[in-house]
Amino acid sequence: MQRKPLALAILLSCAGLAPAAHADDAKLKAEVEALRAEVAELRGIVQQMQAQRAQTPASTAPAAATAVASSAPSAAVSAGAPAASIAAPQAPTTTAGQPLPGTGSSGLALGANTSLWGYGQIGYNRPTNSAGDTRADLSRAVIGFNHVFDEATRVYGEIEWEHAIASSSDQGETEVEQLYVEHTLAPNYGVRVGLVLVPLGLLNEHHEPGYFYGVERNFVETAIIPSTWREGGVAMYGNTESGFNWNVGIGTGPNLGAWDPAADEGRASPLGSIHQELQLAKARDLSMYAAANWQGLPGLQLGGGVFTGKIGQGDAALPVNRSRLVLGEAHLRWQPGPFDISALYTRGTISNTQDLNLQFLGQPTPVPKSFWGGYVQGAWRALEWGSNSSLAPFLRYEMFNTGAAYAAQPQGLGTPALPTQRVWTLGANYYLNPSVVFKIDYQKFRYEDLVLGYGNRFDLGLGYQF
Amino acid sequence: MPIFRSAPRAHALSVLPDVACSQPVSAAATRSGRGRWTFFVVALALIGSASTVAASPSTSALADLGRKIFADESLSASGRMSCATCHDPKFAHAQNNALAVQPGGANLDVPGFRAVPSLRYLNVDLPFFFAGDGTPTGGFNRDGSANTLIEQASRPFLAAHEMANGDAAGVVDKLGRASYADEFRGLFGGDVFARIDDAFLAARYALAVYEATAPELRPFSSKFDLFLKGKVKLGAQELRGFAWFNSPAKGGCAGCHPSTRASNGEPPLFTDYTYDNLGVPRNAKIPATADPDYFDFGLCGPDRSDLAARRDLCGAFKVPTLRNVATRKVVFHNGQFTSLREAIEFYVQRDTNPGKWYPLGADGAVRKFDDVPAPLARNVNTGEVPYNRRPGQAPALSELEIDDVVAFLGTLTDGYDAATDTADPARDLAQP
Repeated sequence: MQRKPLALAILLSCAGLAPAAHADDAKLKAEVEALRAEVAELRGIVQQMQAQRAQTPASTAPAAATAVASSAPSAAVSAGAPAASIAAPQAPTTTAGQPLPGTGSSGLALGANTSLWGYGQIGYNRPTNSAGDTRADLSRAVIGFNHVFDEATRVYGEIEWEHAIASSSDQGETEVEQLYVEHTLAPNYGVRVGLVLVPLGLLNEHHEPGYFYGVERNFVETAIIPSTWREGGVAMYGNTESGFNWNVGIGTGPNLGAWDPAADEGRASPLGSIHQELQLAKARDLSMYAAANWQGLPGLQLGGGVFTGKIGQGDAALPVNRSRLVLGEAHLRWQPGPFDISALYTRGTISNTQDLNLQFLGQPTPVPKSFWGGYVQGAWRALEWGSNSSLAPFLRYEMFNTGAAYAAQPQGLGTPALPTQRVWTLGANYYLNPSVVFKIDYQKFRYEDLVLGYGNRFDLGLGYQF
Repeated sequence: MPIFRSAPRAHALSVLPDVACSQPVSAAATRSGRGRWTFFVVALALIGSASTVAASPSTSALADLGRKIFADESLSASGRMSCATCHDPKFAHAQNNALAVQPGGANLDVPGFRAVPSLRYLNVDLPFFFAGDGTPTGGFNRDGSANTLIEQASRPFLAAHEMANGDAAGVVDKLGRASYADEFRGLFGGDVFARIDDAFLAARYALAVYEATAPELRPFSSKFDLFLKGKVKLGAQELRGFAWFNSPAKGGCAGCHPSTRASNGEPPLFTDYTYDNLGVPRNAKIPATADPDYFDFGLCGPDRSDLAARRDLCGAFKVPTLRNVATRKVVFHNGQFTSLREAIEFYVQRDTNPGKWYPLGADGAVRKFDDVPAPLARNVNTGEVPYNRRPGQAPALSELEIDDVVAFLGTLTDGYDAATDTADPARDLAQP
C-alpha cells in the first residue's frame, strides 16, 4: 500500500527532471527511453498492487491505526487517488502530512470523480461524584465529500451533526466544518480557498475518533486550541524534499465583540466562545496563520504554528478595536515501533482588554489576557490480533488554564487568575479493525467544576470512520 | 373605505400585529383570548386596506401626531388627564409624584391599582410568549396582557380609574374637537371621525408610532452610555456599584437586568423582559388593599384573565428596565417603596431580616410574603441571588455596598451633562 504513492512520487520527480536542459539530443533521447522503461516497470508494479488490493479490501489502514502501528514518516503514508477517469491531483494532506479522509484509498467512491467519507462518535460519560450528570450522547455524525474536477482541482467538504438532533428546540447542531476548493499549483504546493481548518496542533486538522486516544478530545486542543477550529480565507500549503510540510493562510478570525461576560463559554474555551465559523462572520479584521511540520526522520514529527489577528472587527462602539489575538503552539510526535508519544504546548494572548473588562466589572467571565495549556501522552500498541485488530493503552497528563491572567482593574474589583486545571487520563483504544474503535478511559481532575465539565469520570466510546 | 389617506404599512410592520407573527408557536398557544386575535386581524385588515391610497405619511408625521395625543388632557373625562399626566416626560415618562397609585376618573378621585411604569426604552416588538424553558417573556403592561403598543393604549383611554372615556366613541368625540383634528383628518381621511372604531384605532396607532420611534423615549444619553462609548469614566463608587450589580455572588442584579450590550450591538436595556415574583410587601396605600381578599397577582390576574389557571405564575410581574430608575418616585408594581435605596435594601435583606419588611401575624410571627395568600407564597423567588439567604445570615450587600449600587444606578439616568456630572431626563426633550 505504501509503495504506491512512493511510485507516484518517483514518477512526478522524474517528470520534473525531464525538462532539464540537455544540449545533447542523443543523450536526451537515451534518457527518455530509460524513463519510458522505468515508467513501464512502475506501471506494472502499480497494477500488481491494485490486484492485491482488490483481493484484500479490508487491509486499508486508517490514519490512527497507522499512527500507532507505523514507524514510517506519515508523509509517506499518502495513498493514491480513488478510481478516477481524471488523473486526480496529488492526494491532499494535513499540515502534519497525513492524508485527509476521503482522499487516497479511503472513503466510498461515487462515480469516477467523487468519493464520500465519514466518521461518527458515540460516548458515555459517567462522573464519579455526580452520577446524575451521566450522559450518553451521539456526539458526532459526519459526512464528507471529495470531488475531483480536473487534474489539479478538487472541492472538499465536511458536514456534521452534533448531538443527534438539530432543531430549534433541541441541543444539537448542524454545521459545515470544512468546505474549500483546492488547486494544485505544482506537485509540491497548492492553494485552498473557502472554509479551511486552522493547522494548529495535532488534532484540529485530523479529528476523526480513530485518530486520537480517549473517548473525548483532549482538553488542551479543545479549550485552548478550539478544535474543530476553522476560518474562511485563502491558504497556501506545500512540502519540501527535506520533510517540511507547511501551511500559511489569511482569512477571518474571532470576534471579540461577541464575548459574553455573563456566560460560562468564555471560561470553557476563550476562543471557542468567539470564533465565527464563517457564519455571517464579521470580517473587517483579517487574521493570518503559519504552521509547519518537519518529518525528516522516520516516526518523528516536530511542528508548530502561530495564529494572529486583530479581533475587534471594526466595532466602533467597543473599546476592543486595538485588541489582537496571538496564539502559538509547538508539538512533537514520536512513533518508535509500537510506541506513540506526543507532547504539545500552546499559549494565547489577547491585548488591550482592560477597557473592555471595565465594562464587564463583576461579571463572572471577563476576557483573559492570557491562556495556555500543554500535555504529554504516551501510547503503546500492546496487543495485536491478526493484521487488523489491536489494543493500545495510553496515559495522558494535561495542564491548562483558560484564564491565566486578566488585565488590571480598579483595586478590589479585578478578577483573579483561574486555577490551572490538571487532568490525568488513563485508558485504551481497541481497534476492532482499522475503521472501528472502541474506547475506554478514566479521567482524574485536579479540581471539580461541573459547569465546565470538570469532574472525575469514567468514559466509554465508539468511533468509526471510512 | 380606508381609515388612512395613505399607506402606513411600513409602520404597521413595526408596531402592529405583524409582530405577533414572529412569536414562537408556544406563545400563540398560550393566548386563549380569541378576541385578541380577532382584534389583530381586524386591525391588520384595516391598515392593510389603506395601502391603496395616496402617499405614505412619514413616521415623523405620525409620531408628531402621537406626541400631541399623548399630551392632550382634553381626551379624558375629567379634561385634566393625559397620558403625560402619569407618564411625565420630565420624569423619564413616569409619574412625577410619590403616590403609590394615581387618581383618575371624571373627577380625578378614582384610585388606580398599580404604580406607573416609565415608558422609556420599552420593547417595541416583543409580544408576550413563553420561552422554550417556560419562562414568561415580553408583552406590555406590568402583566404582559397586551401584545402590541396599539392594544396597550386602549385601557388608559377607557378605564374608569384612568381617562375614563367609557368607550371608543367618547375618545373619538374628543379627538374630533382637538386642536390637531385637521392634522388627524389629513393623515387618516376627512371622514375618519365618523368611523368610530377606525378613528380610535388610528389614534392608538399614532401613539404607538410615537412610543416606538420618538428619540426622547430612547435617548441613550446617560452617563453609563457615554461610559460604554469610552467618552467618560465612571467614578470609583460607581464602578464598585457596577461590580456588585453584576456579580453573581453579590447583587446578582444583572441576572434579570442585563448590563452588557445585546448580541446585535445595541446598548443594554437593563431588562431581560421576563417576569419575577419578588414577594413585595402589601401596600396599604393602595385603597383596593383595604379588602383583605384583594390581591394583584400580575400574570395570573385579576386584570389579566388568560393565565388565571396558571397558579404557579401568581405574583409575577414584568422585570422593568432600570434605566432612569433613580428618577422614580415609587418603586415596584405596587409603589411600595419611595426610595431606590430602600428598594435595594429590600432585595438583599428580605430573607435575612424579614421582620423589617413584613408585618406580624396574629400569632406574633412575621407574615412573610404578605401580599399573596399563604398557599401561593411558594411562588416567590427564594432560590436566586440575592434572595437565597436565611434570617441571621449576612445580606448579599453591606450598607456601603448598597450605597455603591445606588451610585451606579444613578449613572443610568438620561440627560447626562459631563460638565456638571449631573443627569436630568428633561434634557432629552425637544425644545419648544
